[in-house]
Amino acid sequence: MSALIRRLVHVCVGIYALMSLLPLFWMFYSSFKTNAQIAQDPLTLPTHFDFSVFREAWAVGGLGQYAVNSGIVTGTTTLIVLLTSAMAGFAISRLRFRGSKAIILMFTLGLLLPIQSYFIMQNQEFEWLNLKDTRWALIIPYAAMGIPLAIWLIKTYVDSLPKELFEAARIDGSTDVQTFRFLMLPIIRPALVTVGIFTALGAWNEFLLALLYIQDESLKTIPTGLLSFSSKYATDYRMLFAALTMVTVPMIALYVAFNKQIVAGLTQGAVKG
Amino acid sequence: MKPTSRLGVFILVAPAALIYGFAVLLPFFGTIGLSFLRWDGYASPTWAGFGNYTRALSDVIFRSTFVHVGIYIVATLIVEVLLGLLLAGFVSSLRRSAFYRVALFIPVMLPMVVIAVLWQAIYNSDYGILNAILGSIGLGQWQHIWLGETRTALLSICLVSGWVFSGFYMAIFSAALNRLPNDVIESARLDGSGELKLFTKIKVPMIRQVTSIAILICITGGLQGFDLFYVLTNGGPYHTTEVPTTFMVKTVFRDGEFGYGSALAVIVSIVGLLTAYLFNTWQKRTRIEVEY
Repeated sequence: MSALIRRLVHVCVGIYALMSLLPLFWMFYSSFKTNAQIAQDPLTLPTHFDFSVFREAWAVGGLGQYAVNSGIVTGTTTLIVLLTSAMAGFAISRLRFRGSKAIILMFTLGLLLPIQSYFIMQNQEFEWLNLKDTRWALIIPYAAMGIPLAIWLIKTYVDSLPKELFEAARIDGSTDVQTFRFLMLPIIRPALVTVGIFTALGAWNEFLLALLYIQDESLKTIPTGLLSFSSKYATDYRMLFAALTMVTVPMIALYVAFNKQIVAGLTQGAVKG
Repeated sequence: MKPTSRLGVFILVAPAALIYGFAVLLPFFGTIGLSFLRWDGYASPTWAGFGNYTRALSDVIFRSTFVHVGIYIVATLIVEVLLGLLLAGFVSSLRRSAFYRVALFIPVMLPMVVIAVLWQAIYNSDYGILNAILGSIGLGQWQHIWLGETRTALLSICLVSGWVFSGFYMAIFSAALNRLPNDVIESARLDGSGELKLFTKIKVPMIRQVTSIAILICITGGLQGFDLFYVLTNGGPYHTTEVPTTFMVKTVFRDGEFGYGSALAVIVSIVGLLTAYLFNTWQKRTRIEVEY
């Protein structure tokens, strides 16, 4: 390709990328402006940098509590999905037992079912069991929704491992549960990283079920919490931008640090699912 | 390999099966059952037969949700999948592309609600940056109340969706393009085909399988769209951005019509599964075998 065209492509993609980043940049610098400045002149840059607005949004606005809730729900969900799916994925891939075909079929069905096909009755189940307005009302469905894809990815990974490995463990007298714990878990780490990334991001970002199951302000996660924040501070633009900045900037930092794994985790999760 | 003990198998499989069975499988069959009942969530339900289904098929608003979601899907196929493919083509032809790859993927990992609240601010008619930019470059007559006018609301939502997911599809296509064998590309270059021809005639046909997966994700994901619609317009103005899921949530959780809402859920799920199935069979029949 000629140098001129290459430079032209560079400029075009560059302009597009800058335009894409503009909303985030605007959000960031607007949190340093006063409400009057934002309303009169949305475009101009801030004149001075006052960080107290972030403290206010975190403590008074309740953002801190939402972040803690999201952390607990995401952490628990991810641990449950990783552990249960690794166990089941290993058994389905390596052990031949009665009903294994039916179990594979059952989990495969989960790859196809959209959330719409079950959330109405799921809401009712949680209503009857008094699970609504508890953290379990989010952890259980998030784990359940993550498990089919997680099992699928782990099963595919274990399928690709040489079967002699497992037979050798068997000859050495290891039981299946021991083989799982001491042989399988360490070697499937790459698959667990992928599963962990898309499960954690899915739980962190989920909105529909969080909206339906959690009304208690002190239990809301970031998506629903931010929504009540934005209606509470609808006219306090500065606070709103500060809250948005505080939610996005740590995620962007995390992403820039681990972008290879995150991009791979999210695209693989979607493409293979 | 035969399991060492039945108990071992049970210990390994039961936790995942129980969680999944309790929170997905059971409510899935429950929703199908509920769709044949008339129920407000409290009083004892009455049998409705196919009543909820016939009502759904003649519900003008419900029918219109498929038109809206259809427009949304077509628009997002352009601003997400097609744009993502073009970006991947451009970016993979550049030597230093790491910045673009990283930058354009950022929105994908952010919570949809956060993005929606941010874009609500961008579209805001008092302090939003979109109208401010249009005003400052002399295009004041193009200013709109973007999310409040029936003519612009749906397209405004599609634009946000494109902003988020074009980077996602770019990443998928970039990975596929990078996997292409170098010798094929080089020999095409030696045969004198230009970069553009190389892209349209060789690279794109060779990643056809990835393209069809991308289209399928875009269609099925679009049918399930909720977060953006709920936050940005919640179906308004005058139901012009109502999509199946926003309508379903209103039917069940605002109007308390559990049976009718479940029938809508079943219909939407069938439409989704059927679309995916038809798309797959069509793809299989028309696939040109490319070996690489």
